[in-house]
Amino acid sequence: MALAHPMPSANSDLATTWAFLEEGVDHIMTRLKEGVSYSKYMALYTVAYNYCTSSRMHGTPDPSALGGRSGANLVGSDLYNNLIRYFVRHLETLRDTSDPLLDVALLRYYADEWDRYTTGANYINRLFTYLNRHWVKREKDEGRKNVYAVYTLALVQWKSVFFVHIQNKNSKLANAVLRLIEAQRNGETIDQSLVKKVVDSFVSLGLDDSDTNKASFDVYRTHFETPFITATEQYYTQESEAFLAENSVSAYMKRAEERLREEEDRVEIYLSSTTRKTLVSKCEHVLIREHANTIWDDFQNLLDYDKDEDLQRMYTLMSRIPEGLEPLRKRFEDHVKRAGLAAVEKIMGEGGVDALEPKAYVDALLDVHKKNEETVTRSFRGEAGFVASLDRACKEFVNKNAATGSSTQKSPELLAKHTDALLRKNNKLSEEGALEEALNQVMTLFKYIEDKDVFQTFYTTKLSKRLIHGVSASDESEASMISKLKEACGFEYTNKLQRMFTDMSLSKDLTDSFKERMLQTHDDMDINFSVMVLGTNFWPLNPPAHTFTIPADILPTYERFQRYYQSKHSGRKLTWLWNYSKNELRANYTNPKYILMTSSYQMAVLVQYNNNDTLSLDELVTATGIGKDILVQVLGVLVKAKILINEEQEQYDFNPNFKSKKIRVNLNQPIKAEVKAESTEVLKTVDEDRKYVIQATIVRIMKARKTMKNQALIQEVIGQIASRFNPKIPDIKKAIDTLLEKDYIERADGSRDTFNYVA
Amino acid sequence: MVNLVTSDNESFTVEKAVASRSVLIKNMLEDVGESDQPIPLPNVTASVLKKVLEYCDHHKNEPMPTSEDLAAEDTRKRTTDIGEWDQKFIQVDQEMLFEIILAANYLDIKPLLDVGCKTVANMIKGKTPEEIRKLFNIVNDFTPEEEAQIKKENEWAEDR
Repeated sequence: MALAHPMPSANSDLATTWAFLEEGVDHIMTRLKEGVSYSKYMALYTVAYNYCTSSRMHGTPDPSALGGRSGANLVGSDLYNNLIRYFVRHLETLRDTSDPLLDVALLRYYADEWDRYTTGANYINRLFTYLNRHWVKREKDEGRKNVYAVYTLALVQWKSVFFVHIQNKNSKLANAVLRLIEAQRNGETIDQSLVKKVVDSFVSLGLDDSDTNKASFDVYRTHFETPFITATEQYYTQESEAFLAENSVSAYMKRAEERLREEEDRVEIYLSSTTRKTLVSKCEHVLIREHANTIWDDFQNLLDYDKDEDLQRMYTLMSRIPEGLEPLRKRFEDHVKRAGLAAVEKIMGEGGVDALEPKAYVDALLDVHKKNEETVTRSFRGEAGFVASLDRACKEFVNKNAATGSSTQKSPELLAKHTDALLRKNNKLSEEGALEEALNQVMTLFKYIEDKDVFQTFYTTKLSKRLIHGVSASDESEASMISKLKEACGFEYTNKLQRMFTDMSLSKDLTDSFKERMLQTHDDMDINFSVMVLGTNFWPLNPPAHTFTIPADILPTYERFQRYYQSKHSGRKLTWLWNYSKNELRANYTNPKYILMTSSYQMAVLVQYNNNDTLSLDELVTATGIGKDILVQVLGVLVKAKILINEEQEQYDFNPNFKSKKIRVNLNQPIKAEVKAESTEVLKTVDEDRKYVIQATIVRIMKARKTMKNQALIQEVIGQIASRFNPKIPDIKKAIDTLLEKDYIERADGSRDTFNYVA
Repeated sequence: MVNLVTSDNESFTVEKAVASRSVLIKNMLEDVGESDQPIPLPNVTASVLKKVLEYCDHHKNEPMPTSEDLAAEDTRKRTTDIGEWDQKFIQVDQEMLFEIILAANYLDIKPLLDVGCKTVANMIKGKTPEEIRKLFNIVNDFTPEEEAQIKKENEWAEDR
């Protein structure tokens, strides 16, 4: 094999050794693409190895090794210094060549040389492994600074001889990179790999003196990152202002979004990932924060025109800066509230609240909720803050709007009435699951209702009507609704409701067993009879306020049942609710024989005509025991239906020529006075209940705490009751006074505002 | 396969995994690339290389020491334990022992270098300077004054 220089022998002197090594080093640094043979590689390694392991002293002896105190002589400083001289000479050539170059030409030259240099240095580093392992290591162990492994040494020289030299000329290198990046931002196509190589070299040149294995970003930061961030800020400040001056906020947001994505990609493609945070937050500041007011101000506009995509974009952008979303959440809350109030305003007809259809009202509220809930989900990703805004706004307009005035009790009433309509047989919901869905929507609004006790009372009243009149759509749906309420408000809230169902099924069994018994003991039962026995405490039903004479025709059945029930449950008192009872009468005097469906009062009137054709009002009052004022209304319905004829003042005649299109004639329609009374009645019940709830809560709290200050007690009461209704402070004070009077609590000695619990 | 040629011109063909126990050869193969050129080893003779390759072949499937292992070098240095196989392997005459150590140093086979040096350390352990001189055939070139001075300076290390 022909070598330009023959391999020197093991004990050659420095001059011979270095002459051989220098030729090899230069070959590797400048002509590596010609290749290196195994024998050349081994020769270079061996020569360096032999020189370092030779026991003789070479060149100038190291003064610290004098006196034979440092044990084995480690030879290597001569080779090390020669390597430095070589690198410096090599780099001075690069430096001189690069001097006239600018911009892309400079970058290209720098990047190419960097590639070649670092590849070569890696080779050299391995060829001089022995120098690294022994001489360099020993020097470092002995605390000498500025001694590096050969590869690091090469980088140190690159930095001081070449890199610093270019950068000292007005940051020529970094600025060339920045100009290239700016060109790319302006839409030009650039050689990204070129940028990457140069930027990577900045990172590589960050050498941590204390630990060469650790990367230090000093050089990268000082020479590149800091000027880069400044340039970025200037660029986008200028661009964003110019863009906004000529374009809409929507267009701007699109632009900002693109720019942010581009910058993130930029980090990915050719910057150090350590720059990501600084760069992104700078861009967010310049592109979003600096224009936040302008962007916020466009929010209402986007909401008004349902610009979902832009809303979503605004949300995404604003969520990137601190406190960016809060103004949006506030504005959204106002927006929803206004929409809710406007929706109710719109459906309010001339008749006021009383003419308002519960369904129309509920639908109007639901529409607003649904639309805005969709906006939250779709455009604001269901973010909790916006959900809270939606909830707050809904709570506002659901409880107080044009229909309710200042009363928080109107909404629960209308909602309960709407629910009643849904749960009735004739609810007009044909589709499977439609009822369940409608009930779920009721629950959506129910969540916002403040006076949940008002809803409860109305619901109970309506449920009792559905049950005693047998007009419930299905037991399944009733149960489903109750379980929803239970889930929302707890067991206590639905306890009564569930008891009502229990009474219903017990009553059915009772009727059956009574009938069976009668079949055995009596054979004259020609009246079909069924009964419901309902617990007074669970049912919102009141006995008639007036007297009633039980007609002779039903008296035997009445008495038999009384006896039967007493025999089964002695000691229980039965109160007969004639005002809720109903009857079916067959008219034997007509052809066909009509079946008249009546209330008990109507029945009591009509049976009088079994024996008379004409009766005066006074005679009827005597016969039925019903007060005149009510009886007039009862008769009014019968006259209107043409069962009776009222031609003379206070005189009612039997009409033998009664005709109807249907065989079954329903006369049992509620009297007007009753309908109106119902709502007032219910609300009165609510007020009564509230007094007790407040008192019970105070007693419960005092029993647990024994002693409490007035103010703390009031707060605690409000806290505990708030889920059912908002108690008014005067009401709580009244309750405290009542409890003081009743000796449940007392004032603590010598204190005006502290109470003790009286056991 | 890799073809190694010794200073006395003997050629050894071994698996790459075996040759690569030498960090020197491993690095070179990485840098220069693989080819069927022979690899000259100007500092190793055939008799020593044979012995070294025996070691490399036995350990060829072990993981190469990582930089972390090298960082834990201090703890490794303190222990003079040598594995069972290695102990048998290193039972050679003194001249061969030193040749193996030199070759391991040159070829950059750290574990083998350790085995060699530990063996020498074990040979020295518990011996007087005179015994050591005899063992390694060392001529005492200290003057009596120098020797007294050194003894005094190293008193702290005396085992008493």
